[in-house]
Amino acid sequence: MSVGRSYVEIREAVSLKDSFEKYGIYIFLILLFAFASLVSPAFLKPQNLRDVLNQAAALGIVSIGQTFVILTGRGGLDLSVASVMATVAVIVAKNTGGQDALLFPVAMVCLLFGILVGLANGLLITKRRVPPFMATLGMMIIIQGFRFLYTKGAPKGDFPMFLRFLGRGNIGPVPTSVISLAILTVIAAIVLKKTVFGRQLYAIGGNINTAHLSGYNTDRIITLTYIISGFTAAIAGLYLAGWIGIADNWVGKGYELDSIAAVVMGGTSFEGGRGGVLGTIAGVLIIMMLYNLVLLLHLPVQVQYIVKGAVIILAASFYVRRAIR
Amino acid sequence: MKKLVSVLIAIACIVVVLGPVAQAAERQFSRSWLWDPNAVKMMDTSKYKKEPPYVIGFSNASISNSWRVFFAREVQAEVEKQKDLIKKFYITDAQDKPDKQIADTEDLVAKGIDLLIISAATSAALDPIVTRVYKQGIPVVCADRRVTSENFDSFVTSSSYAMGRMQMLWLCQMLKGKGNIVMLPGLAGAGPAEERITGGKEVLSQFPGVKLLDLQYTSWSPSEGKRIMAALIQSYGKKIDGVWADSGLQGSGAIEALVEAGMKVPITGDHLNAYLTRVQKYEFPAMSIGFPVKMGAESVTTALKILQGIPVPFIVNVTREVVTTVDTVDVKSDLPWDEWARPDWPADWWIDNTLPEHWLPK
Repeated sequence: MSVGRSYVEIREAVSLKDSFEKYGIYIFLILLFAFASLVSPAFLKPQNLRDVLNQAAALGIVSIGQTFVILTGRGGLDLSVASVMATVAVIVAKNTGGQDALLFPVAMVCLLFGILVGLANGLLITKRRVPPFMATLGMMIIIQGFRFLYTKGAPKGDFPMFLRFLGRGNIGPVPTSVISLAILTVIAAIVLKKTVFGRQLYAIGGNINTAHLSGYNTDRIITLTYIISGFTAAIAGLYLAGWIGIADNWVGKGYELDSIAAVVMGGTSFEGGRGGVLGTIAGVLIIMMLYNLVLLLHLPVQVQYIVKGAVIILAASFYVRRAIR
Repeated sequence: MKKLVSVLIAIACIVVVLGPVAQAAERQFSRSWLWDPNAVKMMDTSKYKKEPPYVIGFSNASISNSWRVFFAREVQAEVEKQKDLIKKFYITDAQDKPDKQIADTEDLVAKGIDLLIISAATSAALDPIVTRVYKQGIPVVCADRRVTSENFDSFVTSSSYAMGRMQMLWLCQMLKGKGNIVMLPGLAGAGPAEERITGGKEVLSQFPGVKLLDLQYTSWSPSEGKRIMAALIQSYGKKIDGVWADSGLQGSGAIEALVEAGMKVPITGDHLNAYLTRVQKYEFPAMSIGFPVKMGAESVTTALKILQGIPVPFIVNVTREVVTTVDTVDVKSDLPWDEWARPDWPADWWIDNTLPEHWLPK
């Protein structure tokens, strides 16, 4: 019966479906935003939006790195990010003691720490062929152990005022952390779409053997994605510490899974080679809005887990259909 | 010269003789224990009486947060103080895993301990092994977290019900019995968190003018406390007249959110330095009641009493301090807030610790 349908018709149908799948995350984000504005009058208050964005910043930053890692495909992911975040927070608190003058050198040490963790992850995965799940899980536990040795269980110190400004301040009406997230997102998008590294990364995610045969140094590129992930995790740790303002052994707890959820929701597939950083940011905003909405609607905070889990499964099943087809 | 020497010797003798007496006089008995209207159940421990030195095992649930770190150090510091009576003291760390703690406890028994101190990861999962140890004739002291059955000799704690009640009483009296509050409890399902909610609500029910707007669990996390408080402020705005937080962990985060929203309402918590110093810095009307880390030390002294055949209370309610910035009719400060909060100490330290200098986690 479809014999009569012209080729053009079919192509149009497919491309409509395609674009729906491509932009589905953004449509969902807009719908969620509209829904939230309708059901809760408090949602659209400027301060509430600022709160949501402020809280989204740290998760957004760490999810950018996670996007790079997941783009490599074949089970690439980084479970050590939350451990890096917490460790960075206690390092800053202890070594600056709240003094602005010490922030810059200590922050540099923190970023270096993130990079080294990423390098270790990358080398384990490429040179020793350790599955990413195991390598980064092991790394997560090791860093946790070092953190407890370092703090003896009770972190000391305080955060410099400038870090607090970065984490919770505003420039005009816009939170500082959101500006930073926007800048990092743009940089990441450019790196992914416009640079040789970005193109090679997509190629590896698409088909690592072809990429290898094309003469790409696949090991180096994969290692680099883990370095980026460690680096962004360290930045995210700094921002989250600045936002909370309390040295705690568990800053960023749960961010490893939240960041993976945001990336996958945003359309980056675990098979690699498909997706990007903008979808990830949409995923982050969805997670944070759901959280906020649950509280604004006076539902128990535990409901957020149910909703979040449902949205992750929904998103995953949505993209799987595309992959099969 | 001779005279001086003999005087000095005499003084030394008096100090030596009176030293322990002075110490005993200093020892505080918990008010809630002394004022318990019922007869306190005392356990006969004569059957355990033994000559020192003793071998004691301590099966700890974990040292995964700073409260537990201080608690464990209180145990160790007391053991050091009592080293004449204790030959060996084994410590295990179950890393919050009940199955590991069961194995740990079996190991301790195999090592031939005279007494078991346990802080159970979960009260139900550890019950069978504790029951078995107890039935074997090894005395058991539960510290901070008990097991479900009553198969132990003493439970060293500090009532969480009382804690929730005192916090709520102060808050309601601060509001003069009229206003709206939010409750920010700890971890959903955790014994102390649930007991504090129950205690708090018991008192709240006596103030019909105080309305509970919302109750949200915070997992005892400063960041969750801040995030949830920020959303509640957006949701209820200036309607919130007071915040009941069972701990300074989420309490300190909630203060951050309140400060950012330009609100200053009465808030409750416990003796976490981050909370105490934030209250001081932002001049909040606040109340703090301890969940004393020194129950660690108290569990060791209770253990030693048992092994010496001295009767012990079945429930040892460890003394706690109450501190407020503003007193109410029923809740008075034991000492000024500014003497209690320690801006020179790390934020994650527990102020009511009794640790000697060298045991502080530095």
